[in-house]
Amino acid sequence: MSWSRLRYLPGQIGLAMVVFAIWEGLVQAEVLSAHLYGYPSGIAAKVYGLLSTGELFRHAGVTAFAAILGFLLGSAIGSFAGLCLWLNETVARIVRPFIVAINGVPKIAFAPLIIVWFGIGIESKIAIAAALTFIVSLIATYNGTLETDRDLLRLMRSLGATRLQSWRKVVVPAALPWVLSTLRLNVGFALIGAVVGEYISSQEGLGYLVYYSGVLYDLNGVWAGILALMVVALLMDRGVTEIDRRLRW
Amino acid sequence: MVNKHYPLETRGLSVTFNAGGENEVVAFSDITFTLKADEILAIVGPSGCGKSTLFNVIAGLQPATVGEVFVNGTRVLDAKGQVGYMLQKDMLLPWRSVRENVGLGLEIKGVPKEERNAVADRLIAAYGLKGFENSKPGTLSGGMRQRVAFMRTLALDPDVILLDEPFSALDFQTRILLQGEVMDIIGKQRKSAILVTHDIGEAITMADRVMILSRRPGRVKQIVSIDLDRDERDPVKLRSNTRYQEYFQLLWSELDI
Repeated sequence: MSWSRLRYLPGQIGLAMVVFAIWEGLVQAEVLSAHLYGYPSGIAAKVYGLLSTGELFRHAGVTAFAAILGFLLGSAIGSFAGLCLWLNETVARIVRPFIVAINGVPKIAFAPLIIVWFGIGIESKIAIAAALTFIVSLIATYNGTLETDRDLLRLMRSLGATRLQSWRKVVVPAALPWVLSTLRLNVGFALIGAVVGEYISSQEGLGYLVYYSGVLYDLNGVWAGILALMVVALLMDRGVTEIDRRLRW
Repeated sequence: MVNKHYPLETRGLSVTFNAGGENEVVAFSDITFTLKADEILAIVGPSGCGKSTLFNVIAGLQPATVGEVFVNGTRVLDAKGQVGYMLQKDMLLPWRSVRENVGLGLEIKGVPKEERNAVADRLIAAYGLKGFENSKPGTLSGGMRQRVAFMRTLALDPDVILLDEPFSALDFQTRILLQGEVMDIIGKQRKSAILVTHDIGEAITMADRVMILSRRPGRVKQIVSIDLDRDERDPVKLRSNTRYQEYFQLLWSELDI
C-alpha cells in the first residue's frame, strides 16, 4: 500500500470510531434496543469468541473459497464467451435476446434450481457465484468488443487480416479494460452468490452464520458475520487490483 | 490491351447511396483518372463532394456502385497490401510498442518475428525515432505518432500510398516537417501517392497534379499540373513564390466554395 493511501487511514479509522461510539452510546442510554440492533462492544466480544474457537475462520474460509472459485470460473468463461461472440455475428444475433432476458431476471431467482441440481454442499454455492459472474462478464465483455474502433478494424482488413487475426490482435486487447473493470463488479456478485446459496441451505459459511444468528435474534452475531464478509470482500478486491495491475496495457 | 499498367487507375467510379430508394444520394459519379509512377496526385473539393467516400473506394475499403479501381493492373479488392493508407487518425494500437506497431502488417502476412523487427528497427532509425522502439504510442507526441503510422504504411512496401488529410490534426511546424519528409520518401523510394486534402496550400506544396472535384454529386472538374521543382517546394518559401500564388488563385476559384 502506498503512502498516499495510508495518509487517509487515521481519518478512516476515526470515522469508524465515531460511528461505533455513537452507536454504543445510544444503546447504553437505552435509546436503541441492544436486542434489536446489536452493539459494538457486544459485536467485539462475539468476534473475539468466534475467533478464539476458530469458527470465524472456518466460516469465512468456506465462503471465500466458494466465492473465489465461482468468481474465477464465471469470470473466465463469461469473458471468453463474450469475446468469442464477436467472431460470429449470426450466432451473436441469435443469442442476444436470450442473454438480455436472462440478464433482466434477478439471477438469484435461479438459486433454488442450482441447489436442486448441485446439492446442498459447497458445489451449489460455487455454481451460483459462477452463474452470476458468468452473465455479468459475458454481457460486459461482448459490449466491450462492439466498442472496437471501426477504423482500426478497417485498417486490419486493408492489411489483409482475417477475422480471427483482427480478433486476436485488436478486438481482444481492446476489450481487456472492459474485462478487467467487470472483475471488480464480479467480486460483489460472487459474494452475493455464495452467501445466498448459504442462506438457502448449508451447515457452514458466513451466509449460514448471518442467517442463523438472525433466526436466533443474535444481532451481534449477524454483525460479526457482516464484518467478516466485508473483510473477505476487501481482500478479494485487493486481489483484483493486483490482477488488473499486471494485465492492463 | 495495354501492356504498361499505371500504379493506380480508376474507371468510371460512381457511388450511390440507397440506390433506387427514396433517399437516393449520388456521392460522386464517373470519376476516371490515372496515377503515374513517382507522382503525387492531390484531390481537393468542396466539403460534401464525397472525398472521403472516394478515398475509401480507392483504398478498397468499400466497393463502388459502378466502375473499378486497378492497382498495377489488378482490381484493388484483390491487391491487399499493395496499397497503404494513412488517415488523420494515426490508429496506432496503444498496447503495442512502436516496433510492434510498425511491424503489424508484416505480422499479419506471417513474416517471422526477427525479420519484421529488423524491418521495423531499420525504418524507425531511418525516420528519426531511434530509441523509441519499445515506447508505447501513448508516450509520443502527435507528430511522432503520425510518423509511426507512416512507417507502418511503408513497412509493407506498397507501390501506392493513399493519404487522407494525414497532417490536419498536427500543429503547423510538425505539419510542415512531415509534409517535407513524406514528399522526400515518396520521391526517393519511387512510390506514388494520392493525397486527399481540403488544404489548397498543402495540395500545391506536395502534389504534381491536383484534381478538383465539383460539388455533390462529385465529378472531376479539372486536373491542374503543378510545375514546381522539389527545391522550390519549401512550404515557407513557397508562400512568397508568385507561381504558388497563381496556383492558389486558380484552385480557389475553381473550388467554388
